[in-house]
Amino acid sequence: MLSGIHSYALDGLNGYGVTVEVDIQAGLPKTDLVGLPDAAIKEAKERVRSAVKNSGYDYTPRKITVNLAPANTRKEGSIFDLAIALGILCATEQAGVDEHKKPLAVARDYVFLGELSLSGEVRKINGVMPMLISAREQGVKRVVVPYANANEARYIRGIDVYAVHNLREAVGLVNGLPAAPVEKSDIGIAIEAPYGEDFKFVKGQYSAKRAMEIAAAGGHNILMIGAPGGGKTMLAKCLPGILPDMSEAEALETTKIHSAAGILDERIGIVTRRPFRSPHHTTSRVALTGGGSTARPGEISFAHNGVLFLDELPEYPRAALEILRQPLEDGVVTVARAARTVEYPASFMLVASMNPCPCGFYGSASHECTCTPSQIQKYMSRISGPLLDRIDLHIHVDEVKYEELSAQNGEAESSADVKARVNAARALQLLRYRDVGVFCNAKMTSAMIKRYCALDTAGERILSSAFEKFGLSARAYTRVLKVARTIADLDGAVDISSRHVTEAVMYRSLDRSVK
Amino acid sequence: MLLSDLYLWLSYSHVSTHKLNKLLSKLSPTQLWDALDGDARAYALDEKTLTALKRTHSVDFITRAKQYLTANNIEYVTRADPIFPAALAQSEVNPPLVLYYKGNLDIAREPCVAVVGTRRASPYGKYATQKIVSELAERFTIVSGLATGIDGFAHSAALAAGGNTIAVLGSGIFNVTPVSNLGIFDEICKKGLVISEYTPDVHASEYTFPQRNRIISGLSRGTLVIEAAERSGSLITADCALEQGRDVFAVPGDIDKPRSLGTNKLIKQGATPVTCAQDVFDFYDMARAKPSGGRSTHIELDFFEQRVLDTLKDGEATFDVLAEQCGMSVAELSAALSALVINGLIHEKAKNLYCIGGTP
Repeated sequence: MLSGIHSYALDGLNGYGVTVEVDIQAGLPKTDLVGLPDAAIKEAKERVRSAVKNSGYDYTPRKITVNLAPANTRKEGSIFDLAIALGILCATEQAGVDEHKKPLAVARDYVFLGELSLSGEVRKINGVMPMLISAREQGVKRVVVPYANANEARYIRGIDVYAVHNLREAVGLVNGLPAAPVEKSDIGIAIEAPYGEDFKFVKGQYSAKRAMEIAAAGGHNILMIGAPGGGKTMLAKCLPGILPDMSEAEALETTKIHSAAGILDERIGIVTRRPFRSPHHTTSRVALTGGGSTARPGEISFAHNGVLFLDELPEYPRAALEILRQPLEDGVVTVARAARTVEYPASFMLVASMNPCPCGFYGSASHECTCTPSQIQKYMSRISGPLLDRIDLHIHVDEVKYEELSAQNGEAESSADVKARVNAARALQLLRYRDVGVFCNAKMTSAMIKRYCALDTAGERILSSAFEKFGLSARAYTRVLKVARTIADLDGAVDISSRHVTEAVMYRSLDRSVK
Repeated sequence: MLLSDLYLWLSYSHVSTHKLNKLLSKLSPTQLWDALDGDARAYALDEKTLTALKRTHSVDFITRAKQYLTANNIEYVTRADPIFPAALAQSEVNPPLVLYYKGNLDIAREPCVAVVGTRRASPYGKYATQKIVSELAERFTIVSGLATGIDGFAHSAALAAGGNTIAVLGSGIFNVTPVSNLGIFDEICKKGLVISEYTPDVHASEYTFPQRNRIISGLSRGTLVIEAAERSGSLITADCALEQGRDVFAVPGDIDKPRSLGTNKLIKQGATPVTCAQDVFDFYDMARAKPSGGRSTHIELDFFEQRVLDTLKDGEATFDVLAEQCGMSVAELSAALSALVINGLIHEKAKNLYCIGGTP
């Protein structure tokens, strides 16, 4: 007998329907799996055999052919286990039939996703969120997912999701037993653990903290330069805590990627906190951008709508840094492989840190640098101009001398207070750019800079003296204007004043560097 | 044979100037040329020198060398020429025979001061160089060695101030080192003077740099050492200056900074301490060309800038200290500091460390 069970698969972040067809014929007992399955799917027949048997059903020793349609796309992973098992049970009339062995049409209304354990339990799978979103768009009404993935399903409205613990529960659904879908909830109520680091624990570093606030408010990329042990990493770790809240759309986008890659926290089921990714400098290029034979998003996509922190920037292989250029510009990364091309969103804020020279103390007030000029030059040249070009703020972070700081100052401002200001500044930007398709100052095009970053005479004058004084480049000009715009937004000011311009010049540490 | 051609012959032989000067103290260039035609053994020349001198010992070679120099826009001046820099000719310590140059040789005849220092300059060294040289260049031609660090800053500051500057190379003109200073080199060729005692194709070596130091000091009335470690090439220049009977100036530095040990030692040994260009002008009984504070525009300070300036009166301070002492928001402080730096009223002594006094 023949049966067909619907399932789903992912291509990049887009899902497409897969029908699992099972046919039982006379012949020598054998199970065949066709439809371009990968190794994990080929092994499914062993898992399914045990799961069926251990759930109390009969695995008839007959010739069974399983086809994953469409048969011409390569399929991977273990998500079809549940559909294959149900297909076999339906084809052998152990499920999906009434008491008179007449087939019921119920199974056709569902899409089944899930991996099976040998005991018949349904196990957690990756990519539930993007598959649900695609399924909803393609008009699917009911989806069955493993219970462990139920939380992801809570936030997708307009589609009924049923969570099952084991194969028997799934068979119940196919047999038309009544079941309640997973309850929907608002994204706002998802509660994630608070961030580990808070600005209130950072003593001193006023200038660096201010630069962080500006970077967060305008979505600017930022580079921290300073001696080892100066607190660069600590500052970077504080950054997510002051980033503006995620919108619902942003949260879903980021969750899709995390879900597809299987790094989602299943207890929460959604990412509401901006991600903070800090890949180590030995990370390979593919791990950064995503890809591989079985396409998987990379670190820069995991950081989508959040922060990508590259500690010790010059230690990264140059090739790895250069590939950041396209995502930094377009907010997406296109991974092209011989078989297919996948596009992953990768709109992140780049936060990088580096030492100013091999010994780390160049320009420091407290230590003498022991490097030669050519060593310093060589070290700096590990970072290409085009990449530096895309970084709006660079600041120098130095070790704090505790004896210099007065004790009565007590606890510093907390991240929550800073975040309130950042949120206010972001709200101004969203309002200003509501018609032009950007979300923050950092993404302004040159036409927008002309329109929104007009300077008064005093501002023009001080900026031109600054350029003369420091010999700033033309590209520094637009960077300073963008940052000045953000500073004005933090100030709640409509126009950029000279005060905002001079402060923006402060954050061009590399341009002002002692050469 | 012209006397200048004979000097060119000697220069192209690549025999060390020291050895040639010793020879020339016994006999004239013409005698030496003739001697090589006949029996040179009477002059007790060693085999190496003899081979070297004989290699270029032909009228044809000299003609070709001159054509080559002209074709490459390199001029030369020999000790026989009246336009040979007088200060150098008078310096009795091993004067060069020929100078190859690009640019305007006239500026070598104006009063010169050498400004030298470590290649590994600290922000303090950079600041001191810019501050002193920009004023010094009003009255003096600034001579230095086109090395990285203080040398480069001195040339740049002199050019920026519209003054004259001479770069003395430790290599031939075709092999400028370091490559990172090629930009300054080109600018000096146009607006100043680049000199080398080596034929254009000679590469720099560990011996050529100390040798060129005597030309730096020899061209100048005095040598100002800005920043030097205990064992620094700049101290060789200072020694040369003393040998040549010139004056030595030094900028004092912190006693705990390795990069100031050399200059502080010079002061202990009798060098004139210099903290501003006026100290050098006073030493030579010169008045400044322009009144001090050449800036005609009065800079109006706002409340915050004045507050920061008042706080800095006590000395240098880091950003964090200022943030706690000035009683203003970090944004206001950043803007004020930046404006003060841009207007040249304060400078960033090291990263995040501010100090009163600016560079133009």
